[in-house]
Amino acid sequence: MKQATRDIRILPGFNWVTLAFFLYLYLPLIILVVFSFNASRSATVWEGFSVDWYFKAFANDDIRRAAANSLIIATVSMVASTCIATMAALALARNRRIRRKPVFSGLIMLPLMMPEIVTAVATLTFFAAIGLSLGLGNIIIAHTVFCIPFAYLPIRARLQGMDESLETAAQDLYAGRWDTLRLITLPLLAPGILSGAMLAFIISIDDFIITLMVAEAGSTTLPIYIYSLVRLGITPEINAVSTVLLIISILFVGLSYRIGKKR
Amino acid sequence: MSAAIRAERLRKVYPGSPPVAALKSASLEIADNEFFTLLGPSGCGKTTLLRLVAGFESITGGTLHLFGEDIAHLPPEKRPVNTVFQHYSLFPHMTILDNVAFGLRRLGKPRQEAAGKAQEMLDLVQLRDYGARLPNQLSGGQQQRVALARALAPRPRVLLLDEPLSALDLKLRQSMRLELKRLQRETGITFVFVTHDQDEALAMSDRIAVMSAGEIQQIATPGEIYEYPANRFVAEFIGDANFYQARVEQVRDNGATYLTPFGTRLAGPLVEGAEPGRSVTVFVRPEKVTLTAAATEGNLPGRVRDVIYLGDTTDYRITLEQGGDITVRAENHKDGRPLANPGDDVFVELDPSALRVLKE
Repeated sequence: MKQATRDIRILPGFNWVTLAFFLYLYLPLIILVVFSFNASRSATVWEGFSVDWYFKAFANDDIRRAAANSLIIATVSMVASTCIATMAALALARNRRIRRKPVFSGLIMLPLMMPEIVTAVATLTFFAAIGLSLGLGNIIIAHTVFCIPFAYLPIRARLQGMDESLETAAQDLYAGRWDTLRLITLPLLAPGILSGAMLAFIISIDDFIITLMVAEAGSTTLPIYIYSLVRLGITPEINAVSTVLLIISILFVGLSYRIGKKR
Repeated sequence: MSAAIRAERLRKVYPGSPPVAALKSASLEIADNEFFTLLGPSGCGKTTLLRLVAGFESITGGTLHLFGEDIAHLPPEKRPVNTVFQHYSLFPHMTILDNVAFGLRRLGKPRQEAAGKAQEMLDLVQLRDYGARLPNQLSGGQQQRVALARALAPRPRVLLLDEPLSALDLKLRQSMRLELKRLQRETGITFVFVTHDQDEALAMSDRIAVMSAGEIQQIATPGEIYEYPANRFVAEFIGDANFYQARVEQVRDNGATYLTPFGTRLAGPLVEGAEPGRSVTVFVRPEKVTLTAAATEGNLPGRVRDVIYLGDTTDYRITLEQGGDITVRAENHKDGRPLANPGDDVFVELDPSALRVLKE
């Protein structure tokens, strides 16, 4: 009887390995968040609950400047890359004259698989060669570029699920191409666009390697500032800033996922 | 009175390797206020022709006039024609009322006026209280009626309907036929209706253009198409038919006499290249032949091979003693019994006037 009820699809040990993986993945994060509320300076010994480190971090001018830089860069890059990604998605999906669309689509997505350090060095060399020195501008340009494929993915997915005859119907009902874009295409594409924008935002705010290469003095971002602090020793202040970054990321990914799933 | 639509040698070739000639050469004239149907199997070019009139495709050759005006180079939004799409294509993010008012708004009508007109159209298609809903809250039949209202609201000069009933179930389809006919009468707008369903075409149309392989085979009224099809394709596509070879016996100025394989003579129209002795195709509709038990002079003896029950009628496939087959369609006895069973010996009564000569 016991033999008969055993499900052959359940394999011994797989559950435990999976569980261990989850622990390995999330335990360090949980410890980081927990110790950001530690009352003492120690990042390893618990001495009571406190939110002092958050206030301290927020009062720190360097952290504030870095956070402001990060927000400016992420916001501008998000808007710019989402606009470009939307245009690219529409151009590649709708223009019948463009041949070999999969090749172009692949070229847009290729940076996702490129080693980031290569992109970083290439960008740095390129900026140096053309003598571009715009402070935050340099970082924004670099971020916009690598955020495009991330913004492009959900937009293209949305576009592929869209009925092209809706645009034809709008044209048939006396809407010109801009009216059709404004009244039909963009509203129907909106969930994809929003989802793409949020992905772009978190990718930008969290970037380290490219930013490190491209950033000039005075345009330090939060990840780079955190890194420079860590080299002097881990403090709960870092934990606090990291926790805030983590929450922003989770929030945006969650929103992006929710919006992307919406009909 | 100029024609609503006049197409001359209209041609559409889709580029590619090899290029596809979806419409080889179509010439037709559709009168104002006509219910005109483009009928044919899939891939015959009927939808391409419709899309050329709507402006969704650019024409490769020929001319296209709408009420005397050359519209070949106008984009769809500049053509006073509207389309009812096969899958309705309602805007999913807009309410029913906004959907119906869309065309009027784009034509520059103020919001109030457009909404009022749209409500009138919803009344016309019996969806008075549905204006505030979204398309996905409506059934297929209701969405179809909204699509109709939306296309009719801007009062187009011609309404194009691309297989609008094909996604509906049979009962709904039949009631929508009546509704479409009623709407066409009430609005006085020219309807160009695309379908592959011969029953739909026969039931609604003033005239039908039967299409095949990118060409128009025949344009005529439903009665003419059924009784006097221009060629074998039309005869086979509309209704069922028994085909036979007859021989030209005598050629006269305005017609010819043909000798049928049943030993009868048939006076008919002159077939191209007719000369005594040449073979032509003749056909007879199965419902014009009768099944009888009487061995009267002229009746053809045969044996029932298959009996196909169709509800109101039954088809009998009969092997004739003289060789060849014939299908007879007959009503059943009042109690529902068939007239004959497989293996029965029967006689077929074939009135010579029921035979028709195919011109091509």
